[in-house]
Amino acid sequence: MAFEGSRGESSPGEDSVQGIVFNVQRYSTEDGPGIRTTVFLKGCPMSCPWCHNPEGMDPRPELVWYEARCVGVRECLRVCPREALTLTPEGMVIARDRCDACGACVEACPAAALEVIGRKVSAILLAEEAARDETFFRRSGGGVTLSGGEPALQAAFCLALMEILAKKRIPVALDTCGGVAWSKLEPLARRADLVLYDLKVMDEAKHREYTGVSLSLVLDNAVRIAELGVPMWVRTPVIPGYTEDVENIRAVARFIRENLPTVERFDLLAFNNTCRDKYRRLDRIFPLAGQGLLERTKMEALVEAARQEGVESVCWSGAVAGK
Amino acid sequence: MEDREIITPDRIWKPSEALSPRVRRLREEYFSPEKRPYFRNEVMPFTTGTPWDEVFSPINWGVVPEMYPFMEAYRESLKVLARRVDLPDGFWEKSLVLRRALFFREVCRRYLPVRILEGELVVGGHFNTALSKCHNRKEARAWRRAVRKWWRKAQEINQLGLGNAGAIPGHIIPDYPRVLREGFSGIYRDLQQRMERAGDEEKRQFYQALMVCCEAARDLAHRYAEEAGRLAKEEADPVRAEELKEISRICRKVPWEPAETFHEAVQSLWFTHMLVMAAESYPGAGLSHGRFDQYMYPYYRGDLEEGRLDRERAKEILRCFWIKHNYAYDYQSRVLTNQGINSGFGQLMTLGGTGPLGEDASNELTWLILEVIEEMNMLEPKPNVRLHAGTPEELLRRVAGMIARAQGSPFLLNFDENAIRGLAWQGLPRERLWDYAPVGCLENTLQGDDRSGTVDVNVNLAKAVELTFFSGRDQLTGKKIGPNTPPVEKIATWDEFRDAFRAQLLAVLDRVIEVSDAADAIRSRFEPTPYLSAIVGGCAEKARDVTAGGPRFNYITVEGIAFATAADSLTAVKKLVYEEGRVRMADLKKALEDNFEGHESLRLTLVHKAPKYGNDDDYADEVAAWLHRLWTTDVIRRVSPATGRRYRSGYLSWNYWIAYAPSTAATPDGRRRGTFLSNAICPVDGAARNGPTAVTLSVGKLGLETAPNGASHTISFSPSMLRDAEHVEKLMAFLRAYGEKGGTALQVNVIDAETLKEAQRRPEEYRNLLVRVTGYNAYFVMLGKEIQDEIIARESHGL
Repeated sequence: MAFEGSRGESSPGEDSVQGIVFNVQRYSTEDGPGIRTTVFLKGCPMSCPWCHNPEGMDPRPELVWYEARCVGVRECLRVCPREALTLTPEGMVIARDRCDACGACVEACPAAALEVIGRKVSAILLAEEAARDETFFRRSGGGVTLSGGEPALQAAFCLALMEILAKKRIPVALDTCGGVAWSKLEPLARRADLVLYDLKVMDEAKHREYTGVSLSLVLDNAVRIAELGVPMWVRTPVIPGYTEDVENIRAVARFIRENLPTVERFDLLAFNNTCRDKYRRLDRIFPLAGQGLLERTKMEALVEAARQEGVESVCWSGAVAGK
Repeated sequence: MEDREIITPDRIWKPSEALSPRVRRLREEYFSPEKRPYFRNEVMPFTTGTPWDEVFSPINWGVVPEMYPFMEAYRESLKVLARRVDLPDGFWEKSLVLRRALFFREVCRRYLPVRILEGELVVGGHFNTALSKCHNRKEARAWRRAVRKWWRKAQEINQLGLGNAGAIPGHIIPDYPRVLREGFSGIYRDLQQRMERAGDEEKRQFYQALMVCCEAARDLAHRYAEEAGRLAKEEADPVRAEELKEISRICRKVPWEPAETFHEAVQSLWFTHMLVMAAESYPGAGLSHGRFDQYMYPYYRGDLEEGRLDRERAKEILRCFWIKHNYAYDYQSRVLTNQGINSGFGQLMTLGGTGPLGEDASNELTWLILEVIEEMNMLEPKPNVRLHAGTPEELLRRVAGMIARAQGSPFLLNFDENAIRGLAWQGLPRERLWDYAPVGCLENTLQGDDRSGTVDVNVNLAKAVELTFFSGRDQLTGKKIGPNTPPVEKIATWDEFRDAFRAQLLAVLDRVIEVSDAADAIRSRFEPTPYLSAIVGGCAEKARDVTAGGPRFNYITVEGIAFATAADSLTAVKKLVYEEGRVRMADLKKALEDNFEGHESLRLTLVHKAPKYGNDDDYADEVAAWLHRLWTTDVIRRVSPATGRRYRSGYLSWNYWIAYAPSTAATPDGRRRGTFLSNAICPVDGAARNGPTAVTLSVGKLGLETAPNGASHTISFSPSMLRDAEHVEKLMAFLRAYGEKGGTALQVNVIDAETLKEAQRRPEEYRNLLVRVTGYNAYFVMLGKEIQDEIIARESHGL
């Protein structure tokens, strides 16, 4: 399941570790302090039904088609070496069992209607790209955030990336779901200047049901990171019907207070439903497609509840219903 | 996590509830031109009464193409409406400059209406004029001949979409501090001494002309003093009666005598400023205050120390002063909306910046003025904050906080280090550069003695791309207007293509600058403005009018239009034709000829497969930097023969990115004819996809010092990106980094497309919504639909 960073054949050595990255987002203001560049790595051990980055789930590159851009020149069909594409009146059908995301169709399409989500890139090149906003990082106390997906699934790649960035004196934050073996997570956590740590549901059965991963692993890893003395920001997605109840939020807050002394803040991230199209393009089903946004008052109440449990710095962000 | 929340009307920046009833009334009065038949600052034409007289100067409006169809009508109707002024004895025996001065003085003494509005603390209302050129028959004939010739060429380059050029008034920072310090009486004495020493009669008459203008300012102020005195006697309210008495006293004193109190200084400044607009017959555009918080500070401080003034009273005086500037727009109060003309002015007021040693110069008055700006929510005067490495954190926080709350950029932000680098490159004396300030929209100049003719010339850089593809032939008219470069399909290498482009671009510059040279020659010979000459440093020393190279520093600025459209076009050719061979030149030429009809696949390839400027993509940015250097370093080699003013460059593009869209053929960046060109230094709409940091780095890589005028750059943030203090801190850091890595000037819009659409649907609820158009702010709902849609499109792209 885990997708390891593979070594490039042409240029051996630590710097040529390759990874699969699906986005490099600049002026990212929601993934840690200051102005950041967030690197999204492909592949995740969890499969949360509310995931708003579904393109991060599968470790392999995936082809997507943008209906609005397609002008119907059919070059893609002609060049596809595996005959994986069919243009039907309902839209493009991608035979995912045949498509290996080679990108021939992407190159051939003049309209940029096809895209391979996830590109293979060496750590050294990616570090260069991620470091371009260095001045903005320095001015804002920002840096690079490794997110995903789950970065620890590409541990070797991330480690190489972190080493290069450290040489450039660029702070790196690790955004992890915690659902990976400690042996993978530890080296990254040790190198990180900050860990953004997701705690979702504080009930073992529910956690397994929703994410496919054991809660105890996640909690154990959290405690170990705190023991390393690395500063942490805990983040909880507030999802209607899953994680939203006040007792769950209180439980997360209590866990923070009792077990995670290095936590600097606790962020509550309101559910958002803007990812519907992403699911459709990946031929995945978004289980929460019909779910509306939360109320502002609800988020404020949860923040208050978390504070009552003794966590000082609690924030919420995200889209809410109404004005 | 994109959170697209519409800004509801209650969150739109609007005037403060705490404004005094006085100011609220004055503000409302300004915004209701239909309810004040007793006072509209509309253009008042005045004539010498000769049959050959002219009161309107087309060269002054040469850069406003939307006025071209009406130019004759303006000229004729103003002449018909003009009031005849009784001329003093011996008028026609005097030199032209002295005639102009005498005429101006007569108008100030006897003809300009004098009205004081209810409650106002700063007076001086009617200043929109169309003054006689005061030509004798011979001069009139020569002027007409020269203007006719200029006009033919101006229309031609405009129709061809090459650009436009004129001799534009305003766009200068007069030496206001000197008027405050010495009064016009001091300037008068200096001129008198010069006159006594002058050898020849022409010089004597020049000095005399300037002296007459000093008297004109005194005499008009005295008429206001009379009026205030009269009103004081009639006033029932004893508080207001006292105010009127004080106004009367002040107007008796300033601007003739030096100002001693804050109130006197503000009043002196306003008279001096409004009379420039009257003397040039040009309402407001670009006539700028310079570093107001610096030269007004001693008066403010002095009054506070003496107990003559408190903070609140100072603000009340400033609020009254603020409203005055907006009356410049009254000349079109009956026209209201147009292509952004209703807001294209900029009486720029500079705040902050450095002292001579690079130390921060902001003071208490800076902070006070920020409050006034926030409370007033008006277009004018347009505030500008100079930021530098040493700008205090609290000041930056205050400025960033206002930006976050104000939708349309409440300020022009100027970045001192980058601006100064350009002015040094231009060749201005290094010891003066710390004291620069911008005029108009964002054009950097020195204060008090620099006329840099900003916006006098506007050149469509993308037109040279069209001419390269068709060996100098304009596609719309079929006219051969550029040199005979080789057929583009025969050009084998990128280097040769670049050579052909260079030849075409330089020919475009030749053509447009020729029109500017002609306008500059006409103005310098036939249209002296002695009043302005009296308050611009250098004119008295050189005994030359401000229009004729009198100021210590004289330049004419060429503003580049459609920079990114041209740059992306060149990049697409380099990459797709010459490097990858993906596109055949002959096919590309045919597609441009056909305006991409039947070539959609090729058009999309151009759009999607070539890198674009504005993404921090070194490939595209390198081509852009080449283009930037090419034209800016050519411009600086040119000089206007009539006055010796050297040309320099900048990026402004006002609304020309719309105006020249139909006259610029399809371009190799995939743009069809008619699609808007790119704006100032900004990327093509929708082309920049990597956010504000990437676009900043792209702009910074151009090496903007060779465009010393400065470059207009607008970035939009969605409101959610600046929703709280934490995010405002990030904006502050962004601005600091912009100063380090970006361009010379920035405007930040905090708005999203959804809010603007809502404002289109419910204009009455969004009356206060200010948006940044290019170098200037405008009330969104007052703009024409076309520009509104354009701004919505821009915000939809998130940049």
